[in-house]
Amino acid sequence: MFRRFVIRALLAAMTLSATARTRPHYGGTLRVETAGDAWERPDGIARRLVYDGLTQLDASGALRPALALTWEPDNNSHRWQFRLRPGVHFHDGSTLTSGMVVASLSASCNTNCPWTAVKAVGPLVVFTSDSPMPSLPTMLAGDEFLITLRTTADGKTPVGAIGTGPFQVTGFNNGVLAMSANESCWQGRPFVDAIEIRVHRAVREQWLDLSVGRADVVEVPAEELRQAQQQRLTVLISPPVTMLALQVSEAGALANVKLRRAIAAAIDRSALYNVIFQKQGAVTASLLAQRLTGYSFLFPTDRDLNKAHELRAGLTPGPLTLATEGDGALQLAAQRIGLNLREAGFNVQLASAGTQRADLVLREIPLPGDDPVAALAQVMRGTGNLTPMTATTPAELLRVEQTILDEKKVIPLLDLPRANAIGARVRDLRLRADGTPDLADASLEAAQ
Amino acid sequence: MRHIWAVILGSFGLSGIAICSAQIPQAPSRWVQPAAELAGQIADILGPGQAQVTVRNLSTIQAGEIPAIRKLLELDLKAHGIIASGGESANAVRVTLSENVRERLWVAEVVEGSETHVAMVHVDASTATVAVADARMVLQKEKITGLSIRIGGIALDDPVLAATEINGHFVVMFADQISIFSPIPGGWTESNTFLMEKRLSRDPRGVLLANAGGGSFTAYAPGAECVGSYSLPLSGPMAESGWSVRCHTSDDPWPIYQSADASGLPPLKAFYNPARDYFTGVVAPSIGVDLPAFYSAGLIPRAAGGAALLVTEIDGKVSIAENDALRNVAGTRDWGSDFAMVRSGCGAGTQVIASSSGEAVNDSLRAFEIPALEAVPESGPLAMDGTVTALWTAQDGKSAFAVVRDTAGEYEVDRVSALCD
Repeated sequence: MFRRFVIRALLAAMTLSATARTRPHYGGTLRVETAGDAWERPDGIARRLVYDGLTQLDASGALRPALALTWEPDNNSHRWQFRLRPGVHFHDGSTLTSGMVVASLSASCNTNCPWTAVKAVGPLVVFTSDSPMPSLPTMLAGDEFLITLRTTADGKTPVGAIGTGPFQVTGFNNGVLAMSANESCWQGRPFVDAIEIRVHRAVREQWLDLSVGRADVVEVPAEELRQAQQQRLTVLISPPVTMLALQVSEAGALANVKLRRAIAAAIDRSALYNVIFQKQGAVTASLLAQRLTGYSFLFPTDRDLNKAHELRAGLTPGPLTLATEGDGALQLAAQRIGLNLREAGFNVQLASAGTQRADLVLREIPLPGDDPVAALAQVMRGTGNLTPMTATTPAELLRVEQTILDEKKVIPLLDLPRANAIGARVRDLRLRADGTPDLADASLEAAQ
Repeated sequence: MRHIWAVILGSFGLSGIAICSAQIPQAPSRWVQPAAELAGQIADILGPGQAQVTVRNLSTIQAGEIPAIRKLLELDLKAHGIIASGGESANAVRVTLSENVRERLWVAEVVEGSETHVAMVHVDASTATVAVADARMVLQKEKITGLSIRIGGIALDDPVLAATEINGHFVVMFADQISIFSPIPGGWTESNTFLMEKRLSRDPRGVLLANAGGGSFTAYAPGAECVGSYSLPLSGPMAESGWSVRCHTSDDPWPIYQSADASGLPPLKAFYNPARDYFTGVVAPSIGVDLPAFYSAGLIPRAAGGAALLVTEIDGKVSIAENDALRNVAGTRDWGSDFAMVRSGCGAGTQVIASSSGEAVNDSLRAFEIPALEAVPESGPLAMDGTVTALWTAQDGKSAFAVVRDTAGEYEVDRVSALCD
């Protein structure tokens, strides 16, 4: 009851239109716009429309079956077996088999997989690992491990994106990705007949399209949330589901942990929060959000410039490059952080987006789900830390987090929500645990 | 605790009672154990002595409960030899009443000079109560405990489509199976499951009817019909509950509920569109008027005698078919897709219970009478704990069942009754 109560409080803002007065209607075309690419990782909006994972997270972040019906660990989580849901078909009509799942999973992570081996045994997919994988079922719900058709039944490479999801791709013309409802989707046919995704559309153009009825679902970046509300857009807002963090290299001068700690102490999180992100989300110095652990306030977030100078101890490393994995607000945030670091005596140069091997990288790291251990494992994996980690109590989890953060290879800055604005004819749209809109369960008013 | 009250009463006399009671409310018993546990952990770190104790609340615990929790902590710390002092102490205990999506967490930061240690305890969850509005008629709900838990203790995330109580068992219909729930102390437990071929729908629906005599039932699912029959369970490997269920493919129409006091029309059946979530509008036998596609229908008694067919159309309108004509019913703008009829004996005798959401996140249920072409509210709204996904009349005709999906996606079944006020 308590969990539900908290989840209800968290999700209240996510489900503005979630309470249906009538049953959902079938039919119509949902028009969606995005500033990015529909297929980009993580969380390109088309990916979860076309593909499914072995497992999935529900809107509250709880783990649910998807292409796998059941799973069980063995040998202290060194071995897992997942039993496939029978009767699932890819969009080309071929039946999902464990061999296809193995081929897809192996291709998804190549040599950087969290398991040592994965193989098909009848209807089972069996994972083995040299180290325990307690969070594997949650990890497999992630965007990285969605199942794609790698080889058709006759041994050919399929043309286009083929999955088992609720929509199948029908074309791409003039910047619009067209999809139609998968009539035989294992979760049931989606309510809308089709989805059109207009890609690479600037946020302001998206809002304009929404206001004149040319779009039904558009993006609202966290830093624009206040403005969207002022413009009286109907906005679905997730709890904080991504962490803005600075990833710090261990190369060169930054191999000195004191310098990394000086960088952490020099950053003014409150300026990022108040000015750039318009007081959306929450300032954080912990890897896991308060909603996941309940103890993130134990990590101090205040800037301490004196401590930064003290830790730097007169050392002035050569120019540090600071890159971002994004644009807009992330670029502004990077500029602000560069300023903070210069005040602490560092020589920082901003690098262009996507620069390889930058000393400092400002990036957003997803934090979906309600399992803090799995989320921490995902954060570690996302930041290249593959050290096995086990924790069963909050106190143990706290110790693990303290150990990781003490190295200052990752400096958490803000926990941010995700948001979308929706048009008046959209009904029953919910946000997934990762804050992206669950378009397959949305319906349209008067679509009959 | 009793000792403290005695001191307060002795010091301030009768006029001070109310003031002091408000300042130091009695702590609910649920906080006693976690407070003691946290105090114990703090004492293990700090040892006997003085410490400045602060308590802040980052949780959903009501602010009015914090002084009592603080008092409990101070008493427990005192029992371990730690005296709460002012700012002059070098030691500090910063207690934060926090929570995450799974549980409450009380965290103590124990500061000894430059060293800070952390102690934390889980706190059991509490339950909330739901208030029901006053009106001429009062709706009340009773959760059917256990129907949301499947064999093995797994919380249910599949929608309950229909349920009925027969022969001391609850028969529950899901999208992919029919389950028999047997009584246990305090609720119900799933004792048998009978698989059905799962129909692919994101809004699955079904109808479950106990047959006359109570020894069998018929379940109507999209494209299928199942018949369950009961025989006294034998010893051995026989099905535990005594029920057996057989299903077959069927496009036969589904029965429309008819209130026992709604006479004048023959029993009706309606054809369901198995690829969607509504009835086609074709009913058998014909009632002399073309019906639009609709979500729900029921035969209700009319004040002048006879019966009329009430339907919720897929465009949101509610209509009534009588005397070879279909007319809109006013006052139903906020109705949901489903409704149920209950013979409460209040007012005109039979009421229609409908769901609505208004501006609230959760749905509510309300009783109406339809004396002519307007739905007249007979009760205040009964707040439900989520979205009402199904609503139908119970077998006794005097109550209804509502399936509610909460925001976490879990389902519960509530029995809803109407009481005359």
